[in-house]
Amino acid sequence: MDVIKIRKDFPLLSEKSDNQQPLIYLDTSSTAQKPAVVIDTLARFYTSINANVHRGLYELGEGATTQYEAVREKVAHFINAQHADEIIFTKGTTEGINFIAACWAEQHLKAGDEIVLTQAEHHANLLPWQRVAQKTGAKLVFIQLDKETFTFKNPEQFITSKTKLLAVTYSSNVLGDVWDHNRQQLENLVARAHAVGARVLIDAAQAVMHRKLDIQHLNPDFLVFSGHKMMGPTGVGVLYIKKMLHDAVQPYQTGGSMVHFVSFEKATWAPSPQKFEAGTPPIAAVLGLGAAIDYINQKINFEQLQKHEARLCSVLIDGLEKIEGVRIVGNKLWARHHGHLISFMFDGAHPHDIASILGVQRIAVRAGHHCAQPLVHMLGIDSLLRVSFGVYNTIEEVEIFIKALAQAVTVLRTTCNMQAFPQSLEL
Amino acid sequence: MSAMLYQEELMDHYKYPRNNKPVQNPDFSVDELNPSCGDRIVIEGKVADNVISDLGFSGKGCVISQATASMLTEHCIGKTAEDVMNLTKSDIIAMIGLELGPTRLKCALLSLQVLQHGVLALKK
Repeated sequence: MDVIKIRKDFPLLSEKSDNQQPLIYLDTSSTAQKPAVVIDTLARFYTSINANVHRGLYELGEGATTQYEAVREKVAHFINAQHADEIIFTKGTTEGINFIAACWAEQHLKAGDEIVLTQAEHHANLLPWQRVAQKTGAKLVFIQLDKETFTFKNPEQFITSKTKLLAVTYSSNVLGDVWDHNRQQLENLVARAHAVGARVLIDAAQAVMHRKLDIQHLNPDFLVFSGHKMMGPTGVGVLYIKKMLHDAVQPYQTGGSMVHFVSFEKATWAPSPQKFEAGTPPIAAVLGLGAAIDYINQKINFEQLQKHEARLCSVLIDGLEKIEGVRIVGNKLWARHHGHLISFMFDGAHPHDIASILGVQRIAVRAGHHCAQPLVHMLGIDSLLRVSFGVYNTIEEVEIFIKALAQAVTVLRTTCNMQAFPQSLEL
Repeated sequence: MSAMLYQEELMDHYKYPRNNKPVQNPDFSVDELNPSCGDRIVIEGKVADNVISDLGFSGKGCVISQATASMLTEHCIGKTAEDVMNLTKSDIIAMIGLELGPTRLKCALLSLQVLQHGVLALKK
């Protein structure tokens, strides 16, 4: 895997700003950069294929349908799902989780049932379940995070006969890996949930770009991820629904192209995947996602990618630890071996100020609560910085970043002579 | 140095905040938070004959949120309630001399929001 060669595939990474400072993009966990083949696929669809799917009997329409359905096959193969009709195209991870919350959980959960999550969930895998709990009377149970090691100790103890759903992240957008590297712990947890008759949803948004997903091995009932985090376009995501549950899940929306028979009074649904994809889908984005999968299959070896990103994490941790007053949030040992992101903060310098100063130097990092307010607050933090890597990042970029970061922290760490009132407000 | 994004005046207000004090027997006291980054601003004020006679602030957060509170309180003492209510986003941007993106703008506008809520509370 030649990173320098790979970088050339990404227009935004080779483009220079007016002052010729190259972009250092360290925010892949927010969204990955796109290779030219993905961008070109979008343009090619509109210039030479554009027609709706599952409708037109003319050549263009048939062609669009064939290509659209070919991506479904491609996704199924990419995540090792058994059947292409288990792949539903959504708007993204958030829609996928809301889909299952509204169209399966609300109908199947009742007061007294328990939904098991972890304390490390993104808001996208927390708020939909809060709403299900409010509507059904089910209770949310959280697998506790060890605040020293940022791991889960004996997570299976949270699964009981009351558990009806286990909905957990595969990889945290704040902490990185939270399950042991070979995912034995997660697999055991899934098996334990199934043993008590619960269903399992895996949020793979942060994993899909860094780990080889294997549905048949992991065995979830539902799995979600977004196309844009794996170098595909925004506006398209994937919801995997195990075939045996296709009848139990209701359509998220009703309308065109998802029906079998319709009268003025009622309708019957087409089988999956049409049942779950009402209206015109984001056809161009789906083809773009297909191009991203082709790109990954051709250029990326997941084992080598993991080693590359872990090496970047190691260099980053070494650099961070040389800056006084740094606090790294997440399991450092795991990050050095198989990580792809690092979250951290400093005494006396606010993440927003640091990120703004770096931004002026065209260094892109994330600052804030990372859509995980309960987790971040539980750790006693308001705001964090995060560096997240992709296949295109280099050690040189990490070194430039560390230098700029140390400078920003020094500039910001001036004595601020603030006094606090009321007394409850600590500075 | 390119890292010196913030203007000297802004950094001066951060280092040596003006009106960073409680107000005795305030006519209003408002405490608000920007949950996206944990910025927090408390502003207390005294008003006599519709004129802001004293303001004090306290808070925690980034340079922009805290320094703006200092600048804003300095600017508003002696102004009428209407003057304060008429202040807008562009007045704040002019005050701090920085072009801000939508995310950082929230940090800059927090103290104005707090102060205006204080003035509004007076009228009730």
